[in-house]
Amino acid sequence: MSTKKLTELALLTAVALIIFVVELRIPPLVPIAGVKLGLANIITVYAVFRYKPNETAMVVTARLLLGAMFSGTIVSLLYSASGAFLCLVGMLSLRNIIPKNWIWLCSITGAIFHNIGQIIMAVILMKTTAVLANLPILMISGCIAGAFTGLCAQLLLNRLERRNPS
Amino acid sequence: MSKKLLAVLICLGLIFISSIVIVVIRANQPAGQMVEIIQDGATLYTFDLSKAKNQTIRIDTPDSGYNVVTIQDGTIFMSEANCPDLICVHTGVLRSENVPIVCLPHKVIIHFVDGEGIA
Repeated sequence: MSTKKLTELALLTAVALIIFVVELRIPPLVPIAGVKLGLANIITVYAVFRYKPNETAMVVTARLLLGAMFSGTIVSLLYSASGAFLCLVGMLSLRNIIPKNWIWLCSITGAIFHNIGQIIMAVILMKTTAVLANLPILMISGCIAGAFTGLCAQLLLNRLERRNPS
Repeated sequence: MSKKLLAVLICLGLIFISSIVIVVIRANQPAGQMVEIIQDGATLYTFDLSKAKNQTIRIDTPDSGYNVVTIQDGTIFMSEANCPDLICVHTGVLRSENVPIVCLPHKVIIHFVDGEGIA
């Protein structure tokens, strides 16, 4: 890996981490367990379309581990890791199907996969299927949050493409 | 627009619309009154909310965490907890099957169950 690439990825990780930590400080808009805007996803979506899958996975893994340290709850690492892993799988599988100006769709898919991953983890950890009652709400919130972060990522990509076409 | 893109669009649309339909149907159902409190996979209490007396229930978790559940005039809510996010407290009164009160860090769930016992 070139130094330039390494620096870019490190910068992305730092930006994602900052967004993540700032979002922790914002009181939840909807007080339902699992509903969250997930602004750090903007960086993940961006990375999915700009870098190779393994490079994106590195950024996400670093952000997850460091994020868990900053938020101070190790249990939440299990939730965010299962969510982020499925989210990445979902987005990477769409990477080659989705044209450049439909990237927000990819983000919605990622958000849905993320929420499914979290609810699976919740069922495992809480040893009850009662949490599944939350699923429809999480799907709706995932679509809305995913569309929002996806549009942000779309704007970001459009601007950066114009500046320095790869 | 390619066929694959169209398929993705339709799938996402279906998920979104069917979720909304489920939520709306559930919201319009006459809410059952049987409430169940689960902690770490074990059912601690099951009772009829409309007949329950006003009271507070304290749930302790092994790692010195606690949640205080309050039942007041036929409503139930989490009044106090020492979990880091306090989402369970902010969720407020249990209103429908759509939104159970969940405390992820302490593995506590308060939710409505059907009369037949099918959750």
